[in-house]
Amino acid sequence: MNDTADSALRAEHLSRTFGGLTAVADFCMRISPGELQGLIGPNGAGKTTCFNLITGVYPPSEGQILLCGQRIDGRPPAAINRAGIARTFQNIRLFASLSVLDNVAVAFDRSAEKGLAGAILRTPRFARRRNQIEAEALELLATLGLCDQAAMVARNLPYGGQRRLEIARALATRPKILLLDEPAAGMNPQEKLDLMQLIRFIRDRFGVGILLIEHDMKLVMSICQKITVLDHGETIAVGTPEQVQNDPKVIEAYLGEPV
Amino acid sequence: MSSRRSDHPAASSDSGWRTTLLSNAPLPVLIALLIPLGWAVGSRAFGLYNERIVMLVGFNIILAVSLQLINGFSGQFSLGHAGFMAIGAYLAAYPAMTYSRQFHEPGVTLLFFLSLGLTVGIAGAVIGGLFVLLRQSRRLHRSAPGILLVLMLVWILADFAISANRPTPTLAIWTHGVAALQRLFSALIGTGTAPAAKLSSALPSSIRQPICFIILLLGGGTCAAAVGFIVGLPALRLRGDYLAIATLGFAEIIRIAIQNSPPLGGALGLTPIPKYTDFAWLYGCVIVTVVVIWRIAYSPKGRAIMAVREDEIAAAAIGLNTTQYKITAFIIGAFFAGVAGALYALHERSITPTSFGLQKSIELVVMVTLGGLGSISGAILAAAVLTLLPEVLRPVEEYRMVIYSLLLVVMMLLRPQGLLGGWELWPARRGHVRAPSPTVAEPVPA
Repeated sequence: MNDTADSALRAEHLSRTFGGLTAVADFCMRISPGELQGLIGPNGAGKTTCFNLITGVYPPSEGQILLCGQRIDGRPPAAINRAGIARTFQNIRLFASLSVLDNVAVAFDRSAEKGLAGAILRTPRFARRRNQIEAEALELLATLGLCDQAAMVARNLPYGGQRRLEIARALATRPKILLLDEPAAGMNPQEKLDLMQLIRFIRDRFGVGILLIEHDMKLVMSICQKITVLDHGETIAVGTPEQVQNDPKVIEAYLGEPV
Repeated sequence: MSSRRSDHPAASSDSGWRTTLLSNAPLPVLIALLIPLGWAVGSRAFGLYNERIVMLVGFNIILAVSLQLINGFSGQFSLGHAGFMAIGAYLAAYPAMTYSRQFHEPGVTLLFFLSLGLTVGIAGAVIGGLFVLLRQSRRLHRSAPGILLVLMLVWILADFAISANRPTPTLAIWTHGVAALQRLFSALIGTGTAPAAKLSSALPSSIRQPICFIILLLGGGTCAAAVGFIVGLPALRLRGDYLAIATLGFAEIIRIAIQNSPPLGGALGLTPIPKYTDFAWLYGCVIVTVVVIWRIAYSPKGRAIMAVREDEIAAAAIGLNTTQYKITAFIIGAFFAGVAGALYALHERSITPTSFGLQKSIELVVMVTLGGLGSISGAILAAAVLTLLPEVLRPVEEYRMVIYSLLLVVMMLLRPQGLLGGWELWPARRGHVRAPSPTVAEPVPA
């Protein structure tokens, strides 16, 4: 594979400092579409900061981020999303008072910026486009098993449904890489099991690369091909689940000795 | 994302023309109905007092619905709507008095707005160019913008010092700049008047007046929208209370600027303004405003505007340009406020800056909040109720405003979400959610 023209997301030597605090130091990773990787570490290790750097919430203090060989660091979050990176949030951020369908349709509709005259006059083109977007949004909701709740206000969805909807909304932007920030937080064991299968299904169905932040070790170890472990902003280990599980530094910092 | 079938049954069944026809056909009928209704309202039996109240309701509906788009749908709390109304009112009244010759000169009226646009556009380009220069100079050297800024300040101070011993110290750049713009404006009007008058006389005399009136409305609205853009660019970086204070400040600046400009009549206002707005015109504009704002609010664009209101970070994360949506809502709201102002000025015969003060802005915010944020029908209802209420309470004389205020307090206590609380009286779209065809639905894992 050509190193510059590939479709991977590459983070190279990313650092971010807040005043005197180094939240992330020299973070490197590479993830291609179709891959499933994990990012783990104790609370405050800098996992979410990494996501925020990649998605442009903050610019990195040092280092660069490339997608398909193109620099994307320093661009605003909306532009980075349009380049092909979508994310979910640790504390769910849905458009709470919009319907479930609208939550997904709004992400589908990139040409909403145009069509103002079309919307006012309700031109045939506008009506066709609107119907098409809503049909696509419904199809995506059906794929994620949210079809029956399409008319519901997003706020009223059960917790697991809200997590699913957030993933659906991210997928609606047609990303190459999907970043999931603690998708299993607050779920019961059965829901976690469902989520695990859902994540695998999404990777296979949409061919996206998935980077996962998660505290549930069973989940991470069973579905990720490669895991990066952070502690105090430093990358302390990278490797397959087996390698990481047996790494003494990881055991000391995060996993703890088996009792 | 993998291949999505475009031949989805729901998408292909409607070619779109049905929607277009069904939603647009009732409009001309509705507007035609206004003409006989206008005769009834204008008749002696209905009474001048009642007619006046009906007209006031109309102005307030346009203002409240346009403010609803800003405060309710885009969630940007603006306290400056009366300022945009003032722009529309004055920039329709002034050409109506000076250039329209009782609305018989649509050509010259149009020329006025074009010349104004060109003049202000040139001034804007110069100021905008300075900003761009300041920003771009950073590329040359890190301290270049600072040096440029200091140079400009020194120039302005020197300019001021030179004129300090004159009776009224003025900035030479400012006075010369304004004088140059005035010369440019009069030159444009001067050279354009003859062809513009020819254009007017080419029109059949029966449609000259309505066309001139429409130009005044659109001109007033466009000027308000332009001011909305200029105000919105810096103000929409702020949130909540801070934005409210900033918009309030801008509205006050507009009012005080008008109060201090002799061509616009200063504190005495403009009078006599030729009258043209009648019931049919006003309510025709009400229908157009409501339909346009309704369709924007419940279109993909409106959906994006609401998404930005709900969560700006999440909206950016799905690729929406949040600033652009906020400014769009602000500009459209300002435009219709300007149109309402123009309609008002061409109905009242005289306008003064005091009619567009903070009081008016607050009145409109109360309407929007009481109607229910995010509800267009709520704004219409509240505009009607709150305009009629003080009139209905007239028999109780001195307790009128006490009761009015008490009613507001009670209503907010009983229904803090407003009369309609974000819901509409009729559905935003029929058949909004269709069940997907079974061929598309795939089994969900687990």
